[in-house]
Amino acid sequence: MTLRASPINRDDSFDLEALADSCSNRLEKELDEKGKIGSPIPLPIVDIVSESEGVKTIWIQVPSILVSNYKPGQYFMCWNPYDADGGMSRPNYNSEKPYSVGDILIDRSEIDEVIAADIGNKGRTLVGFTIKDLGKQSGELTRMKKGDWFAIRGPFGTNFPTPNAGSTLLLVSGGIGSTPMHMAAREARQKLGDKVIIHAIMGFQNENDVHYAARMEKLCDSLTITTDDGSLGIKGYPTAPLVELISNCDANNTKLFTCGPELMMKPVLEMAINSKIESYAAMERYLPCSVGACGLCMVGDRLTCKDGPVMEGDWLLQQDDFGIPNSH
Amino acid sequence: MAELSVVLPGLSLSNPLMLASGIQGGSAAALHRVASSRCGGLVSKSIGPSPREIYPGPVCVEAMDSVILNAMGLPNPGVDAFTTMMKENNFAKPMLVSIFGPDSDTFVSIAQEMEKAGATALELNLSCPHSKPGSRALIVGQQPELIREYVRAVKDSVNIPVYAKLTPNTASVSIEAKAALEAGADGICLINTVSALEVDPFAGRPIIGNLLCGMSGPAIRPIAQRKVAEVALAMRRGEIPTAPILGMGGITTGLDVARFIMLGADAVQIGSALIYEDVDIFGKIENELIEFMEVQDYPDLNSMRGIALDSLEELN
Repeated sequence: MTLRASPINRDDSFDLEALADSCSNRLEKELDEKGKIGSPIPLPIVDIVSESEGVKTIWIQVPSILVSNYKPGQYFMCWNPYDADGGMSRPNYNSEKPYSVGDILIDRSEIDEVIAADIGNKGRTLVGFTIKDLGKQSGELTRMKKGDWFAIRGPFGTNFPTPNAGSTLLLVSGGIGSTPMHMAAREARQKLGDKVIIHAIMGFQNENDVHYAARMEKLCDSLTITTDDGSLGIKGYPTAPLVELISNCDANNTKLFTCGPELMMKPVLEMAINSKIESYAAMERYLPCSVGACGLCMVGDRLTCKDGPVMEGDWLLQQDDFGIPNSH
Repeated sequence: MAELSVVLPGLSLSNPLMLASGIQGGSAAALHRVASSRCGGLVSKSIGPSPREIYPGPVCVEAMDSVILNAMGLPNPGVDAFTTMMKENNFAKPMLVSIFGPDSDTFVSIAQEMEKAGATALELNLSCPHSKPGSRALIVGQQPELIREYVRAVKDSVNIPVYAKLTPNTASVSIEAKAALEAGADGICLINTVSALEVDPFAGRPIIGNLLCGMSGPAIRPIAQRKVAEVALAMRRGEIPTAPILGMGGITTGLDVARFIMLGADAVQIGSALIYEDVDIFGKIENELIEFMEVQDYPDLNSMRGIALDSLEELN
């Protein structure tokens, strides 16, 4: 079944920019009136870019207020009201899932540079959600096209703390956990400039899986890549290079952030605790509702959707259901 | 200090503030979390014969101020897993166990399992479709003869008190309350969510994965209050048997609780408020209720129960 409002039915002369502007204005009005987006607001995809094998970034245009209020680690519930083929069969999978923002772009291409300097963020604000094809919903999202609907509500949840001036930040990601680590690095650099030292370790399955490395390289003082099979960087898991990074840090003045599979995050957090480094993890759990209603995303006595996704490492390590296989 | 305790069939509550079914109460961790608050009692998620997955999302959204729309699809771990969990856990608060099934036989077998596992009272979620051909378009709770059949079947098979949870989506809720009470229900819970539908004009389709949904939140509180009053008045007039009423729908403050009590409710259930805030809201609501009762000089819940019905008594 292809429905009339489905983007697939639009002709080539369709004015995507005008629609993106209109939807962004609508979002801004909702934010003004309610202070949050409680209900999914569809936005047309203005671009979809391949990052690596099975990993794509979906770009949508949003009001700049959404970006200035967003804090790294927080997530949006993301939903495709129509499938990539334009149909709206009621799917047999959960078609709304949490994703944290991967990147933000202020497009000043249509603004005179001299004037732009005076008006700060003026220009189209784009938010990128980087999604890896890991299942039915994420797979469907990676097959979306420019002009298709992508609905968001949020932002929800807790965020990573901002590091102090003069401190060191260690960022350890596994796979698609790269995206909140990138936003954390971006925020720290924007707020503290060269008054923060950022070391990143990004773990991937193999060379073809590597994404966001160029982005991180620009922001970090050092970037170490590990792959499970050794096809790029150091062979093995991110924990191996972390030993050396930690040994060179002043524990009292260092924070460690991590995001990735729990089986990776657990030893990473243990290493931080053993070295008395303050640590935080962005948790990913099966999270259908985001508002504390369904109760299906619990870790210990906390709801990942509201008390997380960012939680303290020392607390997580005390939970029996953290870092065990199939804990999702 | 105002006395808030209330004793109901199968439930001895330290205050009248219970969790509402469908919010968080499907697992031991979630129930312990709520029990650690100042709620007076728990209500489990509705438990069915076998594990059920949640519906495709979006499953629950804040559609506008005071309006929450949801279609979860009764996700639950199933009776076997839930009774195992009940036996392994001791919750700090009394729990009303909510159950549902596709037919009365299933209701009976789940009810018996729950009683064996130590449940002290059951809430029958009658807002589910019936498996009988021709009955699927309507939920059980919209068909008084089915309510009668289900309640009687469960009452005949267990010794613990049985509460019937009714839908507001009928012409006159006292008809359904009458059916439940005459079949032996020990209490009435109302209301379940109000039938709803929301469409996004840009996407041109409903915003809930299941398409159709139920509405809750503060916006439905006046609807719930009217339904509670209708049943309470029918009891007062002797038109239907008298039994305790658990009122629910959009309660977020202590004053809201007072409103329901004044319309005849014995206790209340709170759900959507946990979406707006955390489980601490039970403590906040309790404090507000105590403060209100003290300043108005109500020594206990009985002293204000039903007083707002007096002004409605002459209505036909």
